Amino acid sequence: MIDILTLINPGLWIIVAGLVCTLLPVGLLRKTLGLCAPIFAAFMIFTIYPFGGEDVISGKINFGGIELTTLRIDKLSVVWGYLFCLAGVLNAIYGLHEKCRITDSSALVYTGAAVAGVLAGDLITLFVFWELTAISSVFLIWKGGERAYAAGLRYLAIHVFSGVLLLAGAVIYASANGGDFTFGYIGLESPGGWLLLIAMGIKCGFPMLHMWMQDAYPKASITGTVILASFTTKFAIYALARGFPGTDILIWIGAVMTCFPVFFAVVENDLRRVLAYSLNNQLGFMVCGIGIGSTLALNGVVGQVFLHVIFKGLLFMSIGAVMYRTGTAKASELGGLFRSMPFTTVLCLIGAASIAAVPMFAAFVTKAMILAAAVEDHLYIPFLMMLFASAGVMEHSGIKVPHFTFFAHDSGRRVKEAPWNMLLAMSLAAVICIVLAFPWGGYQLLYALMPFGETVNYHPYTVDHVVFQMQLLFAAIFAFTLLKRRGLYPSERRAEILDVDWTYRRVGLTILQWISAMWARLSVLTGRLRAKVTDECGKRLYQVFSPAGRFSEAAPSGLTAIMTAAMLVFILMIAYFTR
Amino acid sequence: MKTDANHKEDDIHPAARPFLFLGKQSVKHNFMWIVLSGMIICIVLGFFFPQKHPLPIEKYIPGSWAVFGFLAYSFIVLCAPFIFKVLARDENYYGEGGLPDPEYSTEHEHDGDRHD
Repeated sequence: MIDILTLINPGLWIIVAGLVCTLLPVGLLRKTLGLCAPIFAAFMIFTIYPFGGEDVISGKINFGGIELTTLRIDKLSVVWGYLFCLAGVLNAIYGLHEKCRITDSSALVYTGAAVAGVLAGDLITLFVFWELTAISSVFLIWKGGERAYAAGLRYLAIHVFSGVLLLAGAVIYASANGGDFTFGYIGLESPGGWLLLIAMGIKCGFPMLHMWMQDAYPKASITGTVILASFTTKFAIYALARGFPGTDILIWIGAVMTCFPVFFAVVENDLRRVLAYSLNNQLGFMVCGIGIGSTLALNGVVGQVFLHVIFKGLLFMSIGAVMYRTGTAKASELGGLFRSMPFTTVLCLIGAASIAAVPMFAAFVTKAMILAAAVEDHLYIPFLMMLFASAGVMEHSGIKVPHFTFFAHDSGRRVKEAPWNMLLAMSLAAVICIVLAFPWGGYQLLYALMPFGETVNYHPYTVDHVVFQMQLLFAAIFAFTLLKRRGLYPSERRAEILDVDWTYRRVGLTILQWISAMWARLSVLTGRLRAKVTDECGKRLYQVFSPAGRFSEAAPSGLTAIMTAAMLVFILMIAYFTR
Repeated sequence: MKTDANHKEDDIHPAARPFLFLGKQSVKHNFMWIVLSGMIICIVLGFFFPQKHPLPIEKYIPGSWAVFGFLAYSFIVLCAPFIFKVLARDENYYGEGGLPDPEYSTEHEHDGDRHD
């Protein structure tokens, strides 16, 4: 019996649990499933791939002439597998108070899709779970209320488009490699590689492709934002680490990614949006590390991903708890909450110290690996950009978020402390942040998970590293206090800060509305001509796509799949914009 | 909305009472000197424990990471007013969600100190 179970991708168990949740009217049962399913999936991962075991390639299915490998567990994917299960458990604890069947079920399906995706062995299986993460997670955004509806649609459209690019890239890449869909190193030698890179770039927020994150995350429900921040982008980082390690262009993309969000975060008033920019900035470190591609850098990326899910989750959880109690996450509306939410304050400060890489806290033991790898490879400009971004991290996540929420001026709000389940989830995350950065037997546990090389030959707690890191952090805090004292630190003001989404939310929409108006006028004049053209097109399409058509004769089915998928996206976008 | 209406203005959490001094203006004011002291100590320590793999230029800048951190942080913050001027629009600019959900939000309801 257990042998059969080991053929099944463990993520599927969580997906099944999520589907069962949709039918369960009793909240207690749903919550039990929400907690147990990720634990069971982690147990199955351990059963299939015990520590130090051989790589597992299993669950092979022949689908339309393509051999799919639905389960592949190796040193790289196992880290993400365990991490997503751990995040699933923390998120489930955090959401225990929420009596919502949609949230419970979509959270489980989303978690399961992410776990199954990172354990996929081929690009088609990856595509399936890639799309499932998008489709299942959009409900978490829509649970944010009416104002989240449009943002959810945009999120869905962008992610479905990313999936279509992934599928197209996979087909082209496989065509160039004798029909091999195995998901391994891809590189940029073929056009398919570029499409795959763009697809992954959309999902992990490359510059100019990032805006879905800052658009959708702050509008999701409180629990939804925490869950969303855990999986999608880290899934994409996994895909990049698997497919594009050592790809030079990623160094520069990552370096830019670390820097630009800090300028947006400093003027943003919505603290959940500040954290979304912060998330984007942290992803930049990971992308840069993947681009560097050395053993040290890639191990740093893996460690950074692992800790980032935890400390970023902790920060989102603490702001979520504040929002739950106060009804807002706007910095201009908050302040002085340490008086009524002292435990949440301490936990948020631990998250802030972790992301800012304060010694003894999470990122200190991993971010430095990426920076050291950049210096080792004489990549001085990317190194300086990342160092600049580190000061930026201190600004937006290390200082701004806790300061304007819990300290600064007294907003006069006197609220209850966060519910026990939120405090428990945040406490567990905080403990992980401290334990995995502990100098004596702590960070060594994390390093033992790192997949590249026999052992990790890096020691974060050298005196010079601690001293110079503290120089940076003290100097940043000193600059904050000085600027604040001099009245040069900008006050938080309510506003919509324009970003790249302005191009499609305002300019693109205006152009489409104009085209629509022109079309309405033209259609009156050109009705007969259109009917003729449509008729002619229909005939041509029939000649090409019908069972007796040209595509049915010799063209590969993959090409038809691309065309169909592209048409689907086109129609979806038309439907969306003409809504 | 989860705010307890019965909570009074002085309803402080018992665990926070020993730390109320953190809200004092004098503490906020003098916090700067603690940070400055920490920074100076770290710069001095940097002379005794130099970096093993510094950038070529760092050899000529004492306390290089402190200098860089101070300048980078100041640059980011000083850019903010300009960025705000260029990119900030009314909260309901897109007409779909800059504003909070009136069913849920407590924004504009509090009467605390002015934010500055």
